[in-house]
Amino acid sequence: MFEVTIDQFRGPLDLMLFLIKEKKLDLFNLDIAELTLQYQNYITSMQQLNLEVASEYLSELAGLIEYKSKKLLPRDKTVLEAAAVEDPKESLVRRLLEYQQFKDITGQLQDRYLLRQQIYGKALSRKEIEDVMPDLLVEGNSYDLIRAMKKVMVRVSLQQPFETKIAARELSVDQRIDMLRRMINRFPASFALEECFADCPDIHLVLITFLAVLDMIRLGELLFTVDGEQIYLIRSTSDDGYNGNY
Amino acid sequence: MTDITVIIEGLLFIVGEQGLSIEQLSATLQCSEQEVLKAVDELSVFYKGFNRGIQCVNFGGQVKLLSASFIHPYAQHMLSIQKTRQLSQSALETLAIIAYKQPITRVEIEEIRGVGCDIMLRKLQAMDLIREKGRSEAPGRPILYEVTQDFMDVFQLMSLEELPKLEQIANSSSQELFD
Repeated sequence: MFEVTIDQFRGPLDLMLFLIKEKKLDLFNLDIAELTLQYQNYITSMQQLNLEVASEYLSELAGLIEYKSKKLLPRDKTVLEAAAVEDPKESLVRRLLEYQQFKDITGQLQDRYLLRQQIYGKALSRKEIEDVMPDLLVEGNSYDLIRAMKKVMVRVSLQQPFETKIAARELSVDQRIDMLRRMINRFPASFALEECFADCPDIHLVLITFLAVLDMIRLGELLFTVDGEQIYLIRSTSDDGYNGNY
Repeated sequence: MTDITVIIEGLLFIVGEQGLSIEQLSATLQCSEQEVLKAVDELSVFYKGFNRGIQCVNFGGQVKLLSASFIHPYAQHMLSIQKTRQLSQSALETLAIIAYKQPITRVEIEEIRGVGCDIMLRKLQAMDLIREKGRSEAPGRPILYEVTQDFMDVFQLMSLEELPKLEQIANSSSQELFD
């Protein structure tokens, strides 16, 4: 008896090919009755081991049993010939042979795939694109911003209890940007990121404010620098376009 | 090397692993595809013959410069590469069937494999190894699949002709053989 394992086979045809090889059956003169018996035994032992048997295996088993039972009945040659249907045995053997071919090729494909990973290319040279990008006054990276955001969140959570409000005030990012513009006009040219969150009573407004700050950085109205753990925002003086908005 | 070969070498260096197609090269250099092919050949031979650490390959019509195979152990050491990716047996079977029979529908693939391939096809599509290629005229107009440029690259194929030949499966085998 062979060992019954799960996931060893890619499908019913794979299992049949395995059984044919294992039991030394002749694929070109296939004993369907024997194959059916072996196949059935295998499926049964899988079920006894409580292994899930995919429906495809059962469907092929049904086909095999149907063929086997038909063979047991006396054959009416004339009916068979008149129907002109392909002999199920012939069609099964053809399927097995065809499947076997593709199965055989997978080894070569895998080798090619592995070898390809041993030769390396390099990325597209992008120097020329970097050169035309404007010099951004940004020191630090996006992770610095995330770290700063965490700090603010901790601070907000420490400000317990939060003000309780019945009517939720939903500010859009744009509205918050307008508020911030008025706010930072009163600030010195450079100020800590946390200043922007001073008037935030809840987490919702903190998030909106953070998005607003990011958007203003994108618009070039604010610049930021990182000094250790502290992020400072700088009012952009070169851009006075927004002053006319209000 | 001729001038055009040298220019191609420079261009291939700039684009890196993305590579350039023969058409792109001939448009850039304002010369015929025949001339480009000849120059690319010359370049490949040059790298091979002079035992260089770089090779010039043509995978599926996309010409590119890659490191030579014998560089791999050193690259592995330098970059501390431990793992190599492998494709599952099911993925390889499905890809092989598509490569040989394309364009092919899902049902036709499932007939050969004897198992459902819906999820596998979606996986392969997500990996950019296969793509949809219109629809079959069969009832329900099922989607046809074919392999992509990436497929040619990951299996190092210049064309599908390079795949090992399948023995022709006799469609109408004689009855005596099986009875």
